[in-house]
Amino acid sequence: MKKRNKYREIEDFLADESFRLWMRSKNDMAGWEDWTLDHPKRAKLVEEARLWLLAMKVPEHDLTQEQLDDALQNTWLKIEQKEQSPKRENKLIKVWNDGWFGKIAAVLVLGLLSFYAYTNYFTAANTDFYQEQIVAHAEADGLLEQINNSNKPQIINLSDGSSVLLQPKSKLSYPKVFMGNERKVYLSGEAFFEISKNPQKPFFVHANEVVTKVVGTSFRIKAYTNDSDVEVLVRTGKVKVNSEKAYSKSSQKEIVLLPNQALRFERKNQTFKKITDITTDKSISSSVRSIEQLSFDFTDIPVSQILKTIELAYSVEIDYPKQELKKCHLTTSLNDQPLPEKLKIICKSIGNNSSYTMNGNQITILSKGCN
Amino acid sequence: MSLKNHILHTGVLDDNKLWQDLKAGDEKAFSTLFKRYYGNLIQYGNSFSPHAEKIQDCVQDVFTDIWIYRNSLSDTVVVKAYLLSCVRKRIVRLQQRDKVFNKATSMDAVTFLLDFSVEQQLISDELTVAKVEHLNKLLNILPSRQKEALFLKYHHGLNIDEIAAILNVNYQSASNLLHRALVNIRKEWNINVTLLMVLMMNWV
Repeated sequence: MKKRNKYREIEDFLADESFRLWMRSKNDMAGWEDWTLDHPKRAKLVEEARLWLLAMKVPEHDLTQEQLDDALQNTWLKIEQKEQSPKRENKLIKVWNDGWFGKIAAVLVLGLLSFYAYTNYFTAANTDFYQEQIVAHAEADGLLEQINNSNKPQIINLSDGSSVLLQPKSKLSYPKVFMGNERKVYLSGEAFFEISKNPQKPFFVHANEVVTKVVGTSFRIKAYTNDSDVEVLVRTGKVKVNSEKAYSKSSQKEIVLLPNQALRFERKNQTFKKITDITTDKSISSSVRSIEQLSFDFTDIPVSQILKTIELAYSVEIDYPKQELKKCHLTTSLNDQPLPEKLKIICKSIGNNSSYTMNGNQITILSKGCN
Repeated sequence: MSLKNHILHTGVLDDNKLWQDLKAGDEKAFSTLFKRYYGNLIQYGNSFSPHAEKIQDCVQDVFTDIWIYRNSLSDTVVVKAYLLSCVRKRIVRLQQRDKVFNKATSMDAVTFLLDFSVEQQLISDELTVAKVEHLNKLLNILPSRQKEALFLKYHHGLNIDEIAAILNVNYQSASNLLHRALVNIRKEWNINVTLLMVLMMNWV
Protein backbone atom coordinates (compact mmCIF):
# COMPACT_ATOMS: atom_id res chain seq x y z
CA MET A 1 0.00 0.00 0.00
CA LYS A 2 3.08 2.29 -0.17
CA LYS A 3 1.99 2.98 -3.70
CA ARG A 4 -0.83 5.25 -2.70
CA ASN A 5 1.48 7.62 -0.87
CA LYS A 6 2.62 8.73 -4.29
CA TYR A 7 -0.85 9.46 -5.60
CA ARG A 8 -0.97 13.04 -6.87
CA GLU A 9 -3.87 13.06 -9.30
CA ILE A 10 -7.46 11.99 -8.95
CA GLU A 11 -6.84 9.51 -11.77
CA ASP A 12 -4.56 7.64 -9.41
CA PHE A 13 -7.38 7.22 -6.97
CA LEU A 14 -10.02 6.44 -9.54
CA ALA A 15 -7.88 3.69 -10.98
CA ASP A 16 -7.33 2.05 -7.60
CA GLU A 17 -9.70 -0.85 -7.20
CA SER A 18 -9.61 -0.82 -3.40
CA PHE A 19 -10.41 2.89 -3.42
CA ARG A 20 -13.42 2.36 -5.70
CA LEU A 21 -14.58 -0.44 -3.47
CA TRP A 22 -14.34 1.82 -0.42
CA MET A 23 -16.29 4.62 -2.06
CA ARG A 24 -18.99 2.51 -3.62
CA SER A 25 -19.66 -0.09 -0.99
CA LYS A 26 -18.07 1.39 2.17
CA ASN A 27 -15.80 -1.61 2.23
CA ASP A 28 -12.59 -0.19 3.67
CA MET A 29 -10.43 -3.24 3.62
CA ALA A 30 -7.35 -1.29 2.67
CA GLY A 31 -7.65 1.26 5.50
CA TRP A 32 -8.41 4.26 3.29
CA GLU A 33 -10.13 6.19 6.01
CA ASP A 34 -7.16 6.15 8.36
CA TRP A 35 -4.85 6.90 5.50
CA THR A 36 -6.88 9.96 4.51
CA LEU A 37 -7.08 11.26 8.06
CA ASP A 38 -3.33 10.84 8.50
CA HIS A 39 -2.63 13.69 6.13
CA PRO A 40 -5.05 16.62 5.82
CA LYS A 41 -3.72 17.41 2.37
CA ARG A 42 -4.88 14.08 1.07
CA ALA A 43 -8.45 14.78 2.06
CA LYS A 44 -9.01 17.26 -0.75
CA LEU A 45 -7.92 14.85 -3.45
CA VAL A 46 -9.86 12.02 -1.90
CA GLU A 47 -12.99 14.15 -1.73
CA GLU A 48 -12.72 15.12 -5.36
CA ALA A 49 -12.12 11.56 -6.45
CA ARG A 50 -15.19 10.61 -4.48
CA LEU A 51 -17.32 13.10 -6.38
CA TRP A 52 -16.07 11.66 -9.65
CA LEU A 53 -17.06 8.19 -8.65
CA LEU A 54 -20.45 9.39 -7.49
CA ALA A 55 -21.01 11.02 -10.85
CA MET A 56 -19.93 7.95 -12.84
CA LYS A 57 -22.42 5.38 -11.67
CA VAL A 58 -23.09 2.64 -14.18
CA PRO A 59 -26.41 0.91 -13.63
CA GLU A 60 -26.15 -2.72 -12.59
CA HIS A 61 -27.32 -5.06 -15.26
CA ASP A 62 -30.74 -6.31 -14.23
CA LEU A 63 -30.73 -9.85 -15.53
CA THR A 64 -32.62 -12.39 -13.47
CA GLN A 65 -31.17 -15.80 -12.73
CA GLU A 66 -33.76 -17.23 -15.07
CA GLN A 67 -32.75 -15.00 -17.96
CA LEU A 68 -29.15 -15.94 -17.35
CA ASP A 69 -29.97 -19.64 -17.36
CA ASP A 70 -32.01 -19.20 -20.52
CA ALA A 71 -29.16 -17.43 -22.22
CA LEU A 72 -26.66 -20.09 -21.23
CA GLN A 73 -28.97 -22.83 -22.40
CA ASN A 74 -29.51 -21.07 -25.67
CA THR A 75 -25.76 -20.77 -26.12
CA TRP A 76 -25.21 -24.50 -25.57
CA LEU A 77 -27.89 -25.03 -28.16
CA LYS A 78 -26.08 -22.82 -30.64
CA ILE A 79 -22.86 -24.67 -29.89
CA GLU A 80 -24.47 -28.00 -30.49
CA GLN A 81 -25.99 -26.91 -33.76
CA LYS A 82 -22.72 -25.47 -34.95
CA GLU A 83 -20.75 -28.52 -33.88
CA GLN A 84 -23.14 -30.99 -35.37
CA SER A 85 -23.51 -29.71 -38.88
CA PRO A 86 -20.04 -30.74 -40.09
CA LYS A 87 -19.89 -33.87 -37.93
CA ARG A 88 -23.04 -35.47 -39.23
CA GLU A 89 -21.66 -35.46 -42.77
CA ASN A 90 -18.53 -37.22 -41.59
CA LYS A 91 -20.57 -39.91 -39.93
CA LEU A 92 -22.59 -40.53 -43.06
CA ILE A 93 -19.50 -40.84 -45.20
CA LYS A 94 -18.01 -43.26 -42.70
CA VAL A 95 -21.03 -45.52 -42.77
CA TRP A 96 -20.92 -45.41 -46.53
CA ASN A 97 -17.31 -46.61 -46.52
CA ASP A 98 -17.92 -49.32 -44.01
CA GLY A 99 -18.34 -52.00 -46.65
CA TRP A 100 -21.27 -54.28 -47.21
CA PHE A 101 -23.02 -53.34 -43.97
CA GLY A 102 -23.18 -49.75 -45.09
CA LYS A 103 -24.54 -50.79 -48.43
CA ILE A 104 -27.35 -52.76 -46.94
CA ALA A 105 -28.24 -49.91 -44.64
CA ALA A 106 -28.21 -47.52 -47.56
CA VAL A 107 -30.51 -49.75 -49.56
CA LEU A 108 -32.85 -50.03 -46.62
CA VAL A 109 -32.96 -46.30 -46.07
CA LEU A 110 -33.53 -45.75 -49.76
CA GLY A 111 -36.29 -48.30 -49.72
CA LEU A 112 -37.94 -46.68 -46.78
CA LEU A 113 -37.59 -43.27 -48.28
CA SER A 114 -39.15 -44.25 -51.56
CA PHE A 115 -41.93 -46.02 -49.73
CA TYR A 116 -42.74 -42.86 -47.84
CA ALA A 117 -42.32 -40.73 -50.88
CA TYR A 118 -44.79 -42.99 -52.60
CA THR A 119 -47.34 -42.85 -49.79
CA ASN A 120 -46.90 -39.14 -49.47
CA TYR A 121 -47.33 -38.33 -53.12
CA PHE A 122 -50.31 -40.52 -53.68
CA THR A 123 -52.17 -40.37 -50.41
CA ALA A 124 -51.76 -37.15 -48.45
CA ALA A 125 -51.10 -33.63 -49.55
CA ASN A 126 -49.27 -32.72 -46.37
CA THR A 127 -45.77 -33.93 -45.81
CA ASP A 128 -45.38 -36.58 -43.17
CA PHE A 129 -42.71 -34.86 -41.14
CA TYR A 130 -42.96 -37.40 -38.38
CA GLN A 131 -41.81 -40.26 -40.57
CA GLU A 132 -39.08 -38.22 -42.19
CA GLN A 133 -37.71 -37.21 -38.82
CA ILE A 134 -37.94 -40.68 -37.38
CA VAL A 135 -36.04 -42.07 -40.34
CA ALA A 136 -33.49 -39.33 -39.99
CA HIS A 137 -32.92 -39.85 -36.28
CA ALA A 138 -33.72 -43.47 -35.61
CA GLU A 139 -30.23 -44.69 -36.40
CA ALA A 140 -28.55 -42.44 -33.86
CA ASP A 141 -30.95 -42.26 -31.00
CA GLY A 142 -32.46 -45.73 -30.72
CA LEU A 143 -36.02 -44.46 -30.58
CA LEU A 144 -38.98 -46.26 -29.10
CA GLU A 145 -42.37 -45.66 -30.64
CA GLN A 146 -45.78 -45.74 -29.04
CA ILE A 147 -48.86 -45.69 -31.24
CA ASN A 148 -52.29 -45.11 -29.74
CA ASN A 149 -54.81 -47.02 -31.83
CA SER A 150 -57.36 -47.20 -29.02
CA ASN A 151 -60.13 -44.71 -28.43
CA LYS A 152 -58.77 -43.56 -25.07
CA PRO A 153 -55.73 -41.43 -24.24
CA GLN A 154 -52.62 -43.33 -23.21
CA ILE A 155 -50.05 -42.26 -20.67
CA ILE A 156 -46.35 -42.51 -21.51
CA ASN A 157 -43.68 -42.04 -18.87
CA LEU A 158 -40.33 -40.82 -20.15
CA SER A 159 -36.97 -41.64 -18.63
CA ASP A 160 -36.54 -38.13 -17.22
CA GLY A 161 -39.74 -38.31 -15.18
CA SER A 162 -41.83 -36.38 -17.68
CA SER A 163 -45.21 -37.71 -18.70
CA VAL A 164 -47.05 -37.52 -22.00
CA LEU A 165 -50.76 -38.12 -22.45
CA LEU A 166 -51.08 -39.43 -25.98
CA GLN A 167 -54.47 -38.96 -27.64
CA PRO A 168 -56.07 -41.56 -29.96
CA LYS A 169 -54.67 -41.89 -33.50
CA SER A 170 -51.41 -40.35 -32.41
CA LYS A 171 -47.87 -41.59 -32.08
CA LEU A 172 -44.81 -40.54 -30.17
CA SER A 173 -41.20 -41.52 -30.73
CA TYR A 174 -38.81 -41.07 -27.87
CA PRO A 175 -35.47 -42.46 -26.74
CA LYS A 176 -35.42 -45.08 -24.03
CA VAL A 177 -32.97 -42.88 -22.14
CA PHE A 178 -32.27 -39.23 -22.94
CA MET A 179 -28.56 -38.80 -23.75
CA GLY A 180 -26.56 -35.66 -24.36
CA ASN A 181 -27.47 -32.07 -23.68
CA GLU A 182 -31.07 -32.16 -24.74
CA ARG A 183 -34.24 -34.21 -24.67
CA LYS A 184 -35.90 -34.76 -28.04
CA VAL A 185 -39.15 -36.47 -28.94
CA TYR A 186 -41.21 -36.66 -32.14
CA LEU A 187 -44.96 -36.38 -32.24
CA SER A 188 -47.56 -37.09 -34.86
CA GLY A 189 -51.07 -36.33 -33.69
CA GLU A 190 -52.03 -34.85 -30.36
CA ALA A 191 -50.56 -35.09 -26.88
CA PHE A 192 -50.43 -33.26 -23.58
CA PHE A 193 -46.91 -32.91 -22.15
CA GLU A 194 -45.88 -32.42 -18.56
CA ILE A 195 -42.16 -31.95 -18.52
CA SER A 196 -39.90 -32.39 -15.52
CA LYS A 197 -37.76 -29.32 -14.87
CA ASN A 198 -34.15 -29.46 -16.00
CA PRO A 199 -32.67 -26.19 -17.29
CA GLN A 200 -29.46 -27.99 -18.29
CA LYS A 201 -31.36 -30.25 -20.67
CA PRO A 202 -34.05 -28.45 -22.64
CA PHE A 203 -36.89 -30.57 -23.95
CA PHE A 204 -37.80 -30.43 -27.66
CA VAL A 205 -40.93 -31.70 -29.31
CA HIS A 206 -40.74 -32.01 -33.08
CA ALA A 207 -44.24 -32.04 -34.54
CA ASN A 208 -44.71 -31.57 -38.29
CA GLU A 209 -43.15 -28.27 -39.26
CA VAL A 210 -42.97 -27.02 -35.69
CA VAL A 211 -40.36 -27.38 -32.94
CA THR A 212 -41.38 -26.60 -29.37
CA LYS A 213 -38.73 -26.03 -26.75
CA VAL A 214 -39.32 -26.13 -23.02
CA VAL A 215 -37.44 -26.40 -19.80
CA GLY A 216 -40.20 -27.59 -17.49
CA THR A 217 -43.86 -26.94 -18.06
CA SER A 218 -47.10 -28.40 -19.40
CA PHE A 219 -48.62 -27.88 -22.82
CA ARG A 220 -50.56 -29.56 -25.58
CA ILE A 221 -49.56 -30.05 -29.19
CA LYS A 222 -51.89 -31.02 -31.99
CA ALA A 223 -50.09 -31.99 -35.15
CA TYR A 224 -51.93 -34.60 -37.21
CA THR A 225 -50.35 -35.31 -40.55
CA ASN A 226 -53.58 -34.71 -42.38
CA ASP A 227 -54.62 -31.57 -40.55
CA SER A 228 -54.06 -28.21 -42.15
CA ASP A 229 -52.78 -26.64 -38.94
CA VAL A 230 -50.39 -27.41 -36.13
CA GLU A 231 -51.42 -26.11 -32.71
CA VAL A 232 -49.42 -25.59 -29.55
CA LEU A 233 -51.25 -24.62 -26.36
CA VAL A 234 -49.48 -23.79 -23.10
CA ARG A 235 -50.96 -24.46 -19.66
CA THR A 236 -48.12 -23.71 -17.26
CA GLY A 237 -44.61 -22.34 -17.59
CA LYS A 238 -43.13 -21.00 -20.79
CA VAL A 239 -42.35 -22.60 -24.11
CA LYS A 240 -40.57 -21.42 -27.24
CA VAL A 241 -41.78 -22.43 -30.65
CA ASN A 242 -39.85 -22.38 -33.86
CA SER A 243 -40.43 -23.70 -37.32
CA GLU A 244 -38.55 -26.87 -38.21
CA LYS A 245 -36.82 -24.95 -40.98
CA ALA A 246 -35.65 -22.09 -38.78
CA TYR A 247 -34.65 -24.55 -36.07
CA SER A 248 -32.36 -26.55 -38.30
CA LYS A 249 -30.79 -23.38 -39.60
CA SER A 250 -30.40 -22.18 -36.01
CA SER A 251 -31.89 -18.85 -36.93
CA GLN A 252 -33.60 -17.25 -33.99
CA LYS A 253 -37.20 -16.55 -34.82
CA GLU A 254 -38.64 -18.22 -31.79
CA ILE A 255 -42.06 -17.31 -30.55
CA VAL A 256 -42.49 -17.36 -26.80
CA LEU A 257 -45.74 -18.66 -25.37
CA LEU A 258 -46.96 -18.07 -21.83
CA PRO A 259 -49.71 -19.93 -19.96
CA ASN A 260 -53.03 -19.98 -21.77
CA GLN A 261 -51.51 -18.71 -24.96
CA ALA A 262 -51.52 -20.76 -28.11
CA LEU A 263 -49.91 -20.80 -31.49
CA ARG A 264 -51.28 -22.02 -34.80
CA PHE A 265 -49.01 -22.90 -37.68
CA GLU A 266 -50.84 -22.76 -40.97
CA ARG A 267 -49.12 -25.38 -43.06
CA LYS A 268 -50.37 -24.06 -46.35
CA ASN A 269 -48.80 -20.60 -46.06
CA GLN A 270 -46.11 -21.70 -43.60
CA THR A 271 -47.05 -18.92 -41.21
CA PHE A 272 -47.42 -18.65 -37.45
CA LYS A 273 -50.36 -17.08 -35.74
CA LYS A 274 -50.16 -16.38 -32.03
CA ILE A 275 -53.40 -16.61 -30.07
CA THR A 276 -53.21 -14.67 -26.82
CA ASP A 277 -56.78 -15.28 -25.75
CA ILE A 278 -57.62 -18.94 -26.27
CA THR A 279 -61.20 -18.58 -25.06
CA THR A 280 -62.07 -16.63 -28.19
CA ASP A 281 -60.55 -19.19 -30.52
CA LYS A 282 -63.18 -21.74 -31.42
CA SER A 283 -60.96 -24.47 -32.73
CA ILE A 284 -58.76 -24.48 -29.64
CA SER A 285 -61.31 -23.94 -26.91
CA SER A 286 -63.62 -26.61 -28.32
CA SER A 287 -60.92 -29.27 -28.13
CA VAL A 288 -59.79 -28.67 -24.57
CA ARG A 289 -59.18 -32.02 -22.86
CA SER A 290 -60.21 -32.90 -19.35
CA ILE A 291 -56.63 -32.90 -18.14
CA GLU A 292 -56.30 -29.22 -19.01
CA GLN A 293 -59.47 -28.23 -17.22
CA LEU A 294 -58.94 -30.12 -14.01
CA SER A 295 -57.31 -28.27 -11.17
CA PHE A 296 -54.69 -30.11 -9.19
CA ASP A 297 -54.77 -27.66 -6.30
CA PHE A 298 -56.10 -29.60 -3.36
CA THR A 299 -56.91 -28.16 0.05
CA ASP A 300 -57.81 -30.72 2.68
CA ILE A 301 -59.27 -33.09 0.10
CA PRO A 302 -59.75 -36.86 0.68
CA VAL A 303 -57.06 -38.94 -1.04
CA SER A 304 -59.74 -40.95 -2.79
CA GLN A 305 -60.99 -37.81 -4.53
CA ILE A 306 -57.50 -36.71 -5.52
CA LEU A 307 -56.87 -40.13 -7.05
CA LYS A 308 -60.18 -39.95 -8.88
CA THR A 309 -59.13 -36.62 -10.40
CA ILE A 310 -55.92 -38.24 -11.60
CA GLU A 311 -57.80 -41.21 -13.04
CA LEU A 312 -59.96 -38.83 -14.98
CA ALA A 313 -57.16 -36.62 -16.20
CA TYR A 314 -54.77 -39.32 -17.38
CA SER A 315 -57.24 -42.06 -18.31
CA VAL A 316 -55.59 -44.42 -15.86
CA GLU A 317 -56.93 -46.83 -13.28
CA ILE A 318 -55.66 -46.52 -9.75
CA ASP A 319 -55.87 -49.37 -7.29
CA TYR A 320 -55.43 -48.37 -3.65
CA PRO A 321 -56.33 -49.67 -0.15
CA LYS A 322 -59.63 -47.86 0.23
CA GLN A 323 -60.14 -48.77 3.86
CA GLU A 324 -56.71 -47.66 5.02
CA LEU A 325 -56.85 -44.35 3.17
CA LYS A 326 -60.41 -43.56 4.07
CA LYS A 327 -59.58 -40.89 6.59
CA CYS A 328 -56.64 -39.33 4.79
CA HIS A 329 -56.91 -35.75 3.60
CA LEU A 330 -54.19 -33.88 1.76
CA THR A 331 -53.39 -30.27 0.95
CA THR A 332 -51.10 -30.00 -2.02
CA SER A 333 -50.61 -28.36 -5.40
CA LEU A 334 -49.84 -30.80 -8.19
CA ASN A 335 -50.28 -28.54 -11.17
CA ASP A 336 -47.27 -28.44 -13.45
CA GLN A 337 -46.04 -31.87 -12.29
CA PRO A 338 -45.69 -34.91 -14.53
CA LEU A 339 -47.76 -37.91 -13.50
CA PRO A 340 -44.95 -39.87 -11.77
CA GLU A 341 -44.09 -36.74 -9.80
CA LYS A 342 -47.72 -36.29 -8.77
CA LEU A 343 -47.89 -39.87 -7.54
CA LYS A 344 -44.59 -39.56 -5.72
CA ILE A 345 -45.77 -36.42 -3.92
CA ILE A 346 -49.05 -38.04 -2.94
CA CYS A 347 -47.33 -41.14 -1.56
CA LYS A 348 -44.88 -38.99 0.35
CA SER A 349 -47.69 -36.87 1.79
CA ILE A 350 -49.58 -39.96 2.92
CA GLY A 351 -46.40 -41.11 4.60
CA ASN A 352 -45.90 -44.49 6.25
CA ASN A 353 -43.62 -45.67 3.41
CA SER A 354 -46.44 -45.54 0.91
CA SER A 355 -45.37 -46.30 -2.64
CA TYR A 356 -46.77 -46.78 -6.10
CA THR A 357 -46.15 -48.98 -9.11
CA MET A 358 -47.20 -48.28 -12.63
CA ASN A 359 -47.82 -50.69 -15.45
CA GLY A 360 -49.24 -49.10 -18.59
CA ASN A 361 -52.39 -47.33 -17.52
CA GLN A 362 -52.68 -49.43 -14.34
CA ILE A 363 -51.40 -47.80 -11.16
CA THR A 364 -51.23 -49.51 -7.79
CA ILE A 365 -50.70 -47.64 -4.55
CA LEU A 366 -49.37 -49.58 -1.59
CA SER A 367 -50.07 -47.98 1.76
CA LYS A 368 -50.85 -48.80 5.35
CA GLY A 369 -52.77 -45.57 5.89
CA CYS A 370 -51.64 -42.07 6.66
CA ASN A 371 -49.80 -40.65 9.65
CA MET B 1 -0.86 -6.66 2.57
CA SER B 2 -0.35 -9.70 0.43
CA LEU B 3 -3.53 -11.15 1.84
CA LYS B 4 -5.55 -8.05 1.02
CA ASN B 5 -4.10 -7.96 -2.40
CA HIS B 6 -4.95 -11.57 -2.81
CA ILE B 7 -8.57 -11.00 -1.86
CA LEU B 8 -8.84 -8.07 -4.21
CA HIS B 9 -7.51 -10.11 -7.07
CA THR B 10 -8.97 -13.53 -6.49
CA GLY B 11 -11.46 -12.73 -9.22
CA VAL B 12 -8.62 -12.36 -11.67
CA LEU B 13 -6.79 -15.49 -10.58
CA ASP B 14 -9.96 -17.43 -10.75
CA ASP B 15 -10.65 -16.22 -14.27
CA ASN B 16 -7.33 -17.53 -15.50
CA LYS B 17 -7.89 -20.90 -13.92
CA LEU B 18 -11.37 -21.10 -15.45
CA TRP B 19 -9.96 -20.07 -18.82
CA GLN B 20 -7.41 -22.89 -18.72
CA ASP B 21 -10.12 -25.36 -17.72
CA LEU B 22 -12.37 -24.12 -20.49
CA LYS B 23 -9.59 -24.59 -23.00
CA ALA B 24 -9.21 -28.14 -21.74
CA GLY B 25 -12.89 -28.76 -22.48
CA ASP B 26 -14.45 -28.21 -19.06
CA GLU B 27 -18.12 -27.34 -19.59
CA LYS B 28 -18.52 -26.17 -16.02
CA ALA B 29 -15.73 -23.63 -16.38
CA PHE B 30 -17.41 -22.35 -19.52
CA SER B 31 -20.75 -21.99 -17.75
CA THR B 32 -19.17 -20.23 -14.78
CA LEU B 33 -17.43 -17.68 -16.98
CA PHE B 34 -20.61 -17.25 -18.97
CA LYS B 35 -22.65 -16.51 -15.88
CA ARG B 36 -19.97 -14.24 -14.48
CA TYR B 37 -19.71 -12.00 -17.53
CA TYR B 38 -22.88 -12.35 -19.56
CA GLY B 39 -24.62 -9.46 -17.76
CA ASN B 40 -21.63 -7.15 -18.14
CA LEU B 41 -21.30 -7.99 -21.81
CA ILE B 42 -24.99 -7.45 -22.49
CA GLN B 43 -24.75 -4.08 -20.79
CA TYR B 44 -21.68 -3.14 -22.81
CA GLY B 45 -23.33 -4.34 -26.02
CA ASN B 46 -26.53 -2.47 -25.30
CA SER B 47 -24.56 0.72 -25.02
CA PHE B 48 -23.88 0.48 -28.76
CA SER B 49 -27.27 -0.48 -30.04
CA PRO B 50 -30.93 -0.20 -29.12
CA HIS B 51 -31.63 -3.69 -30.50
CA ALA B 52 -31.47 -5.76 -27.33
CA GLU B 53 -32.24 -9.04 -29.09
CA LYS B 54 -29.45 -8.64 -31.59
CA ILE B 55 -27.04 -7.93 -28.78
CA GLN B 56 -28.10 -11.06 -26.90
CA ASP B 57 -27.52 -13.04 -30.05
CA CYS B 58 -24.19 -11.41 -30.54
CA VAL B 59 -22.92 -12.09 -27.01
CA GLN B 60 -24.12 -15.68 -27.22
CA ASP B 61 -22.36 -16.08 -30.55
CA VAL B 62 -19.14 -14.83 -28.97
CA PHE B 63 -19.39 -17.54 -26.32
CA THR B 64 -20.36 -20.12 -28.92
CA ASP B 65 -17.20 -19.40 -30.89
CA ILE B 66 -15.08 -19.43 -27.76
CA TRP B 67 -16.23 -22.96 -27.01
CA ILE B 68 -16.01 -24.25 -30.53
CA TYR B 69 -12.57 -22.79 -31.14
CA ARG B 70 -11.34 -23.33 -27.59
CA ASN B 71 -8.31 -25.25 -28.80
CA SER B 72 -6.95 -22.26 -30.65
CA LEU B 73 -7.55 -19.70 -27.89
CA SER B 74 -4.59 -17.85 -26.48
CA ASP B 75 -3.30 -18.99 -23.09
CA THR B 76 -2.56 -15.58 -21.71
CA VAL B 77 -5.55 -13.32 -21.84
CA VAL B 78 -7.24 -11.08 -19.34
CA VAL B 79 -10.56 -12.82 -19.68
CA LYS B 80 -12.80 -9.84 -19.01
CA ALA B 81 -10.92 -7.56 -21.39
CA TYR B 82 -10.87 -10.27 -24.03
CA LEU B 83 -14.61 -10.85 -23.80
CA LEU B 84 -15.42 -7.14 -23.92
CA SER B 85 -13.19 -6.83 -26.93
CA CYS B 86 -14.81 -9.80 -28.73
CA VAL B 87 -18.28 -8.41 -28.18
CA ARG B 88 -17.32 -4.96 -29.41
CA LYS B 89 -15.60 -6.32 -32.52
CA ARG B 90 -18.60 -8.42 -33.39
CA ILE B 91 -20.97 -5.49 -33.01
CA VAL B 92 -18.74 -3.31 -35.18
CA ARG B 93 -18.72 -6.03 -37.82
CA LEU B 94 -22.49 -6.42 -37.70
CA GLN B 95 -23.14 -2.71 -37.90
CA GLN B 96 -20.74 -2.27 -40.77
CA ARG B 97 -22.42 -5.10 -42.61
CA ASP B 98 -25.83 -3.55 -41.99
CA LYS B 99 -24.52 -0.25 -43.22
CA VAL B 100 -23.23 -1.81 -46.40
CA PHE B 101 -26.61 -3.33 -47.00
CA ASN B 102 -28.39 -0.11 -46.16
CA LYS B 103 -25.99 1.80 -48.40
CA ALA B 104 -25.41 4.37 -45.69
CA THR B 105 -22.44 6.67 -46.21
CA SER B 106 -20.86 6.55 -42.81
CA MET B 107 -18.56 3.65 -42.06
CA ASP B 108 -17.58 4.99 -38.66
CA ALA B 109 -17.06 2.66 -35.80
CA VAL B 110 -19.84 2.23 -33.28
CA THR B 111 -20.99 4.93 -30.89
CA PHE B 112 -20.97 4.44 -27.16
CA LEU B 113 -24.40 5.53 -25.97
CA LEU B 114 -24.36 4.62 -22.30
CA ASP B 115 -24.95 7.48 -19.85
CA PHE B 116 -23.37 7.59 -16.44
CA SER B 117 -25.82 8.24 -13.65
CA VAL B 118 -25.52 9.77 -10.19
CA GLU B 119 -25.04 7.59 -7.14
CA GLN B 120 -27.83 9.30 -5.22
CA GLN B 121 -27.87 6.89 -2.34
CA LEU B 122 -24.39 7.75 -1.17
CA ILE B 123 -24.96 11.52 -1.05
CA SER B 124 -26.61 13.23 1.84
CA ASP B 125 -26.04 16.97 1.45
CA GLU B 126 -27.37 19.29 -1.22
CA LEU B 127 -24.12 20.95 -2.13
CA THR B 128 -22.59 17.60 -2.98
CA VAL B 129 -25.67 16.67 -4.98
CA ALA B 130 -25.33 19.84 -7.03
CA LYS B 131 -21.62 19.29 -7.60
CA VAL B 132 -22.03 15.67 -8.55
CA GLU B 133 -24.94 16.31 -10.85
CA HIS B 134 -23.00 18.97 -12.66
CA LEU B 135 -19.99 16.72 -13.03
CA ASN B 136 -22.26 13.98 -14.25
CA LYS B 137 -23.61 16.22 -17.01
CA LEU B 138 -20.12 17.12 -18.14
CA LEU B 139 -19.16 13.45 -18.24
CA ASN B 140 -22.15 12.53 -20.32
CA ILE B 141 -21.49 15.11 -23.02
CA LEU B 142 -17.95 13.86 -23.56
CA PRO B 143 -17.17 12.50 -27.01
CA SER B 144 -18.23 8.87 -27.32
CA ARG B 145 -14.73 7.41 -27.30
CA GLN B 146 -13.57 9.37 -24.27
CA LYS B 147 -16.64 8.25 -22.40
CA GLU B 148 -16.09 4.65 -23.42
CA ALA B 149 -12.47 4.82 -22.29
CA LEU B 150 -13.57 6.14 -18.88
CA PHE B 151 -16.17 3.39 -18.63
CA LEU B 152 -13.66 0.67 -19.41
CA LYS B 153 -11.07 2.06 -17.04
CA TYR B 154 -13.08 3.10 -14.02
CA HIS B 155 -16.01 0.74 -14.22
CA HIS B 156 -14.31 -2.39 -15.47
CA GLY B 157 -10.85 -1.56 -14.14
CA LEU B 158 -9.04 -2.29 -17.41
CA ASN B 159 -5.54 -0.91 -17.94
CA ILE B 160 -4.51 1.32 -20.81
CA ASP B 161 -3.06 -1.52 -22.89
CA GLU B 162 -6.33 -3.39 -22.70
CA ILE B 163 -8.38 -0.29 -23.50
CA ALA B 164 -6.15 0.49 -26.47
CA ALA B 165 -6.70 -3.02 -27.81
CA ILE B 166 -10.46 -2.77 -27.43
CA LEU B 167 -10.72 0.65 -29.06
CA ASN B 168 -8.26 -0.46 -31.71
CA VAL B 169 -5.83 2.43 -31.13
CA ASN B 170 -2.25 2.55 -29.85
CA TYR B 171 -1.25 2.97 -26.22
CA GLN B 172 -0.55 6.67 -26.51
CA SER B 173 -3.92 7.48 -28.08
CA ALA B 174 -5.78 5.54 -25.42
CA SER B 175 -3.84 7.28 -22.70
CA ASN B 176 -4.57 10.65 -24.32
CA LEU B 177 -8.26 9.88 -24.56
CA LEU B 178 -8.46 9.28 -20.85
CA HIS B 179 -6.24 12.16 -19.89
CA ARG B 180 -8.03 14.67 -22.08
CA ALA B 181 -11.40 13.64 -20.70
CA LEU B 182 -10.30 14.31 -17.16
CA VAL B 183 -8.38 17.52 -17.81
CA ASN B 184 -11.17 19.16 -19.79
CA ILE B 185 -13.81 18.29 -17.32
CA ARG B 186 -11.82 19.37 -14.32
CA LYS B 187 -11.11 22.72 -15.90
CA GLU B 188 -14.72 23.48 -16.59
CA TRP B 189 -15.99 21.91 -13.45
CA ASN B 190 -13.71 23.83 -11.09
CA ILE B 191 -14.84 27.17 -12.47
CA ASN B 192 -18.43 26.13 -12.12
CA VAL B 193 -18.04 24.65 -8.69
CA THR B 194 -16.65 27.95 -7.40
CA LEU B 195 -19.60 29.72 -8.92
CA LEU B 196 -21.96 27.20 -7.51
CA MET B 197 -20.59 27.58 -4.04
CA VAL B 198 -20.98 31.35 -4.19
CA LEU B 199 -24.57 30.90 -5.27
CA MET B 200 -25.32 28.39 -2.57
CA MET B 201 -23.83 30.72 0.02
CA ASN B 202 -26.21 33.46 -1.03
CA TRP B 203 -29.21 31.15 -0.73
CA VAL B 204 -28.31 30.23 2.79
